[in-house]
Amino acid sequence: MLTVRGLSAGYDAVDVLHAVDVTARAGELTVVLGANGSGKTTMFRTISGILRPSAGSVEFDGTRLSGLPADGIVKAGLAHCPEGRHLFAKMPVEKNLLLGGYVRRRNRRRVHELLAHVYELFPVLHDKRHHPAGTLSGGQQQMVAIARALMSDPSLLILDEPSMGLAPLVTAQVLDAVAQINRDGIGVLLAEQNAQAALRIAHHGYVLAEGRVVLSGTATDLLDDPEVREAYLGV
Amino acid sequence: MTLFIQQLFDGLALGGVYCLAAIGLTLIFGVLRIPNLAHGTLYMLGAYVTYFFLVTVGVPYVAAIGLAAVVLAVIGVLLERVVFHPLRNAPHTHHMIAAVGAMFFFQAVAQAIWGADFRRMDSPISGSVTILGAQISWQRIVIVVTAVIVLGLLTWFIKRSIHGQTIEAIEQDRTGSSLVGISPSRVSMLTFGLAAALATVAAGLVAPINLLAPTMGDALSLKVFAIIILGGLGSLPGAIVGGFTLALAEVMTSTYVSAAAGEGIAFAVIVLVLAIRPTGLFARAVQR
Repeated sequence: MLTVRGLSAGYDAVDVLHAVDVTARAGELTVVLGANGSGKTTMFRTISGILRPSAGSVEFDGTRLSGLPADGIVKAGLAHCPEGRHLFAKMPVEKNLLLGGYVRRRNRRRVHELLAHVYELFPVLHDKRHHPAGTLSGGQQQMVAIARALMSDPSLLILDEPSMGLAPLVTAQVLDAVAQINRDGIGVLLAEQNAQAALRIAHHGYVLAEGRVVLSGTATDLLDDPEVREAYLGV
Repeated sequence: MTLFIQQLFDGLALGGVYCLAAIGLTLIFGVLRIPNLAHGTLYMLGAYVTYFFLVTVGVPYVAAIGLAAVVLAVIGVLLERVVFHPLRNAPHTHHMIAAVGAMFFFQAVAQAIWGADFRRMDSPISGSVTILGAQISWQRIVIVVTAVIVLGLLTWFIKRSIHGQTIEAIEQDRTGSSLVGISPSRVSMLTFGLAAALATVAAGLVAPINLLAPTMGDALSLKVFAIIILGGLGSLPGAIVGGFTLALAEVMTSTYVSAAAGEGIAFAVIVLVLAIRPTGLFARAVQR
């Protein structure tokens, strides 16, 4: 379980995230909604240790993450699949995935199990395993990014706008895969522009605006909430 | 024809040395995005430490180079920790100034220990062999063979082993690397250690042909920069092809034009490459 308490963070001494409280329960799919610039990416980057928080704390399964180096956070079981994917574009797909298992490198058997598992989840990656990751289509690159994050054997997967820039049909495929990952028992913290599709697969949701949590509740409550319907669902 | 074959072998031997020295520089550039101006002095220290083990301690030649490579790897890691790591968030000019400082420091240390005079390290490998009518010294053959073996091992390390792959991963995407748990700080220590060890192997191989002096790294430094600009900054194949190309051009020009022209060819190459193809032969994205 991930507990974010009073988290503030930002760039160059200007906070864009103001005292945010968010909880992602073990094994559940928690969605974070919000317009561009509402602080979703900043929150995720702070949780996974790329940014230092200016206040507040992040706790994961009882361990305080703030201050741990990025590899310590990955070892603790938290994987972050970032906005913009950040793949190793010139390396073959399979090498990207194996590097995803970097923190589990001492357990070769587990890494190969995980590799077989992600190929099962995304069979197209198996077909393209020798192609440089940068030559794949946008949707396939997103699959590589998700698969690479799963290779670290996480108990919580943070997904930052996996559908960004993808065609609607591909978005649906990616979100189906996310739902499948969650059914397999991995907790997911998902930021998504496509609010309706995201809330359908989620258990809980938060709405962020200007760096603050303005609304939270179960996914069904949020789907029925008039404010959410007006602002994010366009009905 | 005999002269040409002779020069060809000289060029290949020199090329092997240039490659080994240039690869370290290109790796450091790829990982830290800084030109390590102190690289030539690591090469110089490598030569002196090899000399120390071979002449002063009296261990066999190959063991002396190996021991010196280990010592220099440690010095490389220390250089990264003490000088470059504290500057990791500073602007790039700071790195360059620090590198020049390190360069003067290492030269002063070498001068304090071994003096400013030239020193000679006799080749423990003597004799020569006649190939196609040309006399090729065993030392040059050893240089070429060792360079090929070391380059092979290095390529295997970087492409196949998980620790070597982290070097390429950081080069290609720093954020992506942190997110899979690769520590940038560990990779930059590894890169500096490796770069210093490779420069030492280069220096140890060529030392019996040339003389040792605290300033011997200066000329090499300029040439390896020419090589990595020619090959493309951060590119491994670029450093290898660039190293052999520059060495052959240098040797052939010295023989068929004049020695002075041979020394100048590296700079002609830089000017030409920057004018015609500024990204180098093996262009690799160097945006940012």
